[in-house]
Amino acid sequence: MAVWFRRFLARNGTMLSLYMLTAVALWIVLMIVLPQLFMLDFSFRHNWQQMDPSRMGGPDDVYTLVNYHFLAYGSPNNPDPFNVVDVTVFFRTIIAAIFVTLFDLALCYPIAYYLAQVARGGKARLLVLFLIIPFWVNELLRAFAFRILFGEEGTINAILLSIGVLDQPIDFVREDVALYAGLGYAYILLMIFPIYNVVESLDKNQIEAARDLGASWGRIHRRVVIPFAKPGITSGCTMVFMLSAGALAAPQILGGPSSLWFTQIIYQWFNTGSNWPRGSAYAIVLMLTCVLLVLAIMRVFKVKIGEIGR
Amino acid sequence: MSADVQLENVSVQFGDFVAVRDTSLTIQGGEFFSFLGPSGCGKTTLLRAISGFQEPSQGRVLIGGKDMAGTGPNQRPTALIFQNLALFPLMSVWENISFALEVKGVNKSVRRKKADELLELVALPGQGDKMVDELSGGQKQRVAVARALCAEPEVLLLDEPLSALDLKLRQHMRTELRAIQQRAGITFIYITHDQGEALAMSDRVAVMRQGMIDQVSDGTIVYDRPETAFVASFVGENNAFPGRVIEVTQGVASVQTKSGMLYAQVSAVSPLTSGDAGIVFVRPESVRFADSSASQNQLEVTVVNQEFEGHFWHLVLQTAEGSVIRMSVMNDSESQTHEVGSRISISFTAQGAIALAQGELAAE
Amino acid sequence: MTSAGVLRLAVGFYILLFFTYLFGPLIVMSFTAFNSSEFPSISPWNCVTPEWFPVLFKDQHLMGGLRSSLLVGIGVVLLAVPIGLAASLLITQLQKRARSIVYTIAISPILVPGVVLGISTLVFWERIDRVVLGVEDGFFYDGYFMTIIGQSTFIAAYAMLVFLARLQRFDPGLEEAALDLGATHTQVFRKILLPFLKPAIASAAVLAFLASFENYNTTVFTIVSESTLTTVLASKVRYGINPSISALAVIIIGLTLVGAVIHEYLRRKEAAKSEALAAEGLPAPTRSRSGNRMLRVPVGALASLIFVAMLATAWIARDYDVAQCKIKVTEENRKKFDALKQQRLAEAKAKREANQEEADVAVEANQEGRQYQNIFAPTNLGNQIDSTEPPESDSGAATAVEANQDGRQYQNIFAPTNLSGQVGSETKGE
Repeated sequence: MAVWFRRFLARNGTMLSLYMLTAVALWIVLMIVLPQLFMLDFSFRHNWQQMDPSRMGGPDDVYTLVNYHFLAYGSPNNPDPFNVVDVTVFFRTIIAAIFVTLFDLALCYPIAYYLAQVARGGKARLLVLFLIIPFWVNELLRAFAFRILFGEEGTINAILLSIGVLDQPIDFVREDVALYAGLGYAYILLMIFPIYNVVESLDKNQIEAARDLGASWGRIHRRVVIPFAKPGITSGCTMVFMLSAGALAAPQILGGPSSLWFTQIIYQWFNTGSNWPRGSAYAIVLMLTCVLLVLAIMRVFKVKIGEIGR
Repeated sequence: MSADVQLENVSVQFGDFVAVRDTSLTIQGGEFFSFLGPSGCGKTTLLRAISGFQEPSQGRVLIGGKDMAGTGPNQRPTALIFQNLALFPLMSVWENISFALEVKGVNKSVRRKKADELLELVALPGQGDKMVDELSGGQKQRVAVARALCAEPEVLLLDEPLSALDLKLRQHMRTELRAIQQRAGITFIYITHDQGEALAMSDRVAVMRQGMIDQVSDGTIVYDRPETAFVASFVGENNAFPGRVIEVTQGVASVQTKSGMLYAQVSAVSPLTSGDAGIVFVRPESVRFADSSASQNQLEVTVVNQEFEGHFWHLVLQTAEGSVIRMSVMNDSESQTHEVGSRISISFTAQGAIALAQGELAAE
Repeated sequence: MTSAGVLRLAVGFYILLFFTYLFGPLIVMSFTAFNSSEFPSISPWNCVTPEWFPVLFKDQHLMGGLRSSLLVGIGVVLLAVPIGLAASLLITQLQKRARSIVYTIAISPILVPGVVLGISTLVFWERIDRVVLGVEDGFFYDGYFMTIIGQSTFIAAYAMLVFLARLQRFDPGLEEAALDLGATHTQVFRKILLPFLKPAIASAAVLAFLASFENYNTTVFTIVSESTLTTVLASKVRYGINPSISALAVIIIGLTLVGAVIHEYLRRKEAAKSEALAAEGLPAPTRSRSGNRMLRVPVGALASLIFVAMLATAWIARDYDVAQCKIKVTEENRKKFDALKQQRLAEAKAKREANQEEADVAVEANQEGRQYQNIFAPTNLGNQIDSTEPPESDSGAATAVEANQDGRQYQNIFAPTNLSGQVGSETKGE
């Protein structure tokens, strides 16, 4: 270790070594590791800061599971056996995120494949450019665009009403259609590009050989392309899932009363609920679930973390 | 200004792999010294040890009498010309050349003048404003030399600088580099696997094999009087006849080989005695067509192939036992052509051959 | 049609659908920016108006948020890019084990949900403020500070990836050559490495700024009492939206398009230059390779299309007056409303005649002074339509009619005089 350090110093000189090591240490310690640890610690504390500041730092400031307990069982006055609202929201968020991921996968795989293998040079580059442009627009504005489309006085309703398909406007927001359409839309780019990158490196000759041997397109995709594209698919699904589960803007703008998102509950604990420890606990639960799910998927599909990158 | 370079028991090890093995050597100031050897023999590692990019695992490197341990490459009085030249692509030619002055803070006009002078020296006048990627291979080569010279080193190290050039250019650059060295008077340490280069340019040559130096002498001696089987087979072409030494009389050994009893001189440095396993080496140009006066070393062979190479005919001959012998005949009015398949007699003198201890031969 | 042909058609159709999904919402939104109706819509289309753009600029809250977003963006660039650079340099010098460990830790902020980053940053620095400085609202517990730190946590990782990609193509021999020629390490860094990294630095800076500008999940927690453009936009959900948001979208989309064109142009220039150099010595100043030309056409076409569209709009708008249009629209709306009312009147009359008994009871209830006259109740209508009594007050009616002709909203449309004026007409409406 000391040897390495000496050689590092010799190779880079004092100033540069200092810069590199300080910057990276500051980043990793002060911005990545410590805040997460503090949040973890915070989630195990009572909310004295809000409820009774005098008890902070004193003998009552002990570690407690009360916040996690609340997530599962609700308050002591809760008539139900467990915290129905929060737990349902939690599971619904996760499952919805899974559906959004699968929807995006089905939607984007053909496009990614087309871009990577079928479209020729100039056309492909142009299409890629067209793909990117919408995503330079702010995520929130994109959500608003969907609200304009799907609102009760919105465009889709207006058009459908005027051509006589509908008598009454459909409340898309209440039906969660708006939210899912918006979420599916938000992360398209993150699903397309990993798959595109991987499929592009697939030797076209393999596909041609399979065709030559008489395979149908379905079989070709199933046996040749998809196994090869696995890292890209996993990467894309991982990102879309994590971003959907952790989405806050789309649910706030497009969400109806029946599609409360877990992140919105977290936000409320910090905002109106003024219970930071509880919010931290919920956030930890969200993060752990996401990370565990992703690790499980990576294990199942045998993909390593190094392969996930833009 | 030139300095001498001393290596004292230098070893360089990477984990289990020994790249350079206990090497001691003194290179004189102002000398053109070459390290010659196949890839992987450790010559590049040695060069990097001298220039400061590699600390020896053991031993010392001294330049101008000073121990260089702990001195970084930017503080040693050496300049290295890399195999891929490593010219700075984002700088113009003159900026590349005067870089050594730039880091010392010399002002622009002085630097420009110096760069122009060096461009004249390396026969590239007026090319200063071009970008590096606008030059040809040979031109880039010369810019690299100019850049290194600008640092006014006491020792110039060159890592196979001509390997990427075509034949004519290589021959031209050989002469140029030698001329530059003599004009500048700097110690040149040159590594290459092309023995023609090494022999043509150097004052002395060190032949290296697997991290060790087999022989250090000037070119003619390395060629005419190799000290190990490796040197004999690596430097130039050599026909090898392995066998056993029967006796040694007055510096001539009689060696029993597959092709009969052969007589050859023994090496003064590592003499053989009777009973030793040895190899008789004969250069292709020392093989003659046998006439009746030949008594020793006469062989009956079949002509397998004839190659015409301009000023030489190369004949590939085969003995009855299947040993292959190469022979070079000068292309002059007296040369005789022989049909493939014809049987001829050849011979060589004992003075034209050398017997050395059995050892590793250079790979074909 | 061959199966291959059908397949190709299906694929083309799918792609068309896909890009409709992709661009549709944005195109619709852009159009709503020019419609004068209060809620962004394209149907019904009222008047073409640029009025929402000034509204946008006068929105103090939004403009303040924009200013904060710019400040935070600059701060993030200044923090995240050097960190990303340091991390990439360090990682390239590490060996297998250490390298993958540091790399994984460095990438982790990208994989963590943005809200978690925001929360952890908030909680941590608030604690630091309390514990280290002993105050509630000190230097660290500040919207700008924490947002810059929180965003930089993951944006530095993006920067690192950009630098790593560029460093892969760096020839380490250049560093050694410079050292060999006497440069100090700092000089090597300044004169050799940094110039090489310049394009990557630019990319990373632009990426960092854009990522910071559009960030919401993390920012909403760390911004505490301040606000950025994104948090202001989000808060508009509660306060209702008007097309000034669409105007903002139009501006951003426009900037994006301009940016894309510039980027493509620059990239094309670079590619042409390197092609020319690669074809060392070959003539042909006009490179007519199909790829280049094909790309040249759409971008050029797009640009010219936009230009022509702008000219056409300016030409058409010459004779166009927004206020007039609005009056016209109000008139049309009134007419439509009247027609609709007609229909209901007729229906009600029919019903009324069938329910005469209940009428008296209802009238009594009405005269007991209920809140608002529900004009669609059959009894009310019947009372007022069939009565031949003159209007209550002439002045009232006069002002009502006048008000209408001034193009005001249709408040007085319920005034009895107006109704009677149209009772005679038998338009059944739509």
